[in-house]
Amino acid sequence: MNGRKHEDIPKPLKTVTSPAAALPEAAAKIEAILLVSSRPVSLPALLSATGLPKSKARAAIEELERRYSPENSGIVLRRVAGGFQFATNPLYAEAIERFREEARPAPLSGAAHEVLSCVLYLGPLTRAGVRAARGVNSDAVVRGLIDRNLLAETGWDQNRPGTPALLDVTEDFLLAAGARSRDDFPILEELVEETEISRVRERIRGVAGEREGEAHEKGDEN
Amino acid sequence: MNPEGAEPQGRALAAFTVELEVYSGPYEGLLALILKEELEIFEVPLRELVALYRGFCSPHGQTKETLDALERDTDFVDSATSLVLMKGRALDPALGAEEEEDDEEISPQELEERLVAYLKVRRGAEALMQRFAENAGFYPSGHSLRPRSGRLRLNQKKLAAAARRAFLRTAEPEVEHLGPITVTVQELAAMIRTSLSYGPLSFEDLVRDMDRLRSAVAFAATLSLASEGRLTLSQPEPFGPLTLELPR
Repeated sequence: MNGRKHEDIPKPLKTVTSPAAALPEAAAKIEAILLVSSRPVSLPALLSATGLPKSKARAAIEELERRYSPENSGIVLRRVAGGFQFATNPLYAEAIERFREEARPAPLSGAAHEVLSCVLYLGPLTRAGVRAARGVNSDAVVRGLIDRNLLAETGWDQNRPGTPALLDVTEDFLLAAGARSRDDFPILEELVEETEISRVRERIRGVAGEREGEAHEKGDEN
Repeated sequence: MNPEGAEPQGRALAAFTVELEVYSGPYEGLLALILKEELEIFEVPLRELVALYRGFCSPHGQTKETLDALERDTDFVDSATSLVLMKGRALDPALGAEEEEDDEEISPQELEERLVAYLKVRRGAEALMQRFAENAGFYPSGHSLRPRSGRLRLNQKKLAAAARRAFLRTAEPEVEHLGPITVTVQELAAMIRTSLSYGPLSFEDLVRDMDRLRSAVAFAATLSLASEGRLTLSQPEPFGPLTLELPR
């Protein structure tokens, strides 16, 4: 019809070759799938889409990780949020931002990091729980973090009056932190040294002792 | 709100005056009296106030600029919301109890535990800050996958049960034991107000000759009048005599 002969239509390749280096077909398949997904793709999803056995898929991913390492490429393969994701190499972030005419999102405030820390380590938490942990009302900060999709309401606390919403961290939070899962963070106890805790305890006991002494003095005067 | 300049800018509600049983004058004056606690919030009938405001709006709505009207409405809603909150707290002290907890003296041991817990959260936040900074600058592929369809696995039994629930006609509740409803809250509210014009009245006296249904409706009417500030309720002891009287 358009003058194109049947034999001119390109046939699917049995193996993929590239000028740089031949990539095994399994790796090429996974590479193609990851390219079209902006979200991390889990291993089960990759297996389902490619029909590859798990061992072969794992080997292919390792091959891709070598090829797409920060030292070798402008694109990197990340293991984040329970899956695999292609992203640009942060070394070239500025060039991308200039090209897209976009500024990098403003970093989060200290309060926002504290709220995230509360929810990550003590959560899922209600808003009242966040407030209790920080000692100040954090509703506005929580709202901002929900808007940025770093926190989400994932359930309800059935044991509290009014069944308030429970907040938890999101997949975007794991992406922003470069974490594979919640377990990919240091244990909270490890972040504070025992000596620091002892100092805080001593300080409070000192202040409490002073107050007690003052109260006794006032009592004696009366 | 006033293109002719009769009202100073920033006081969108300056022209709104109210005529209530407990107060008559500019709305802003009413707010001032409430804030200075010279007027009890539960004496202010909020429903009547809203009705007055709606009456105030209707003749203006045709002629005033939309933006001015919006500003005025916003101011009113803002102040009315605060009044509702204040009234809610006045009627239900439990609502204000949560905030008062903050002022409670806490023991040094409890303070210690709280501060140690906060310190850990703080260190966690610092670690997160560093981690976020290290992971900034990764831009993912611009492709967005469409929502996956057809991956939902249906359990036939669960589907059948859900369908049965969806199409099941809820049984009508039994109401025969209630008997015919022969009295309304409004009727009993009017009766209570008339009775109160002769002086304070105990709830027990009020319902002495009433049957169960009328007693229940009388109680609802009493609460309704109390919430509108048309009567005051006092019960010095829990489960003790309940006395109704007109507001002073």
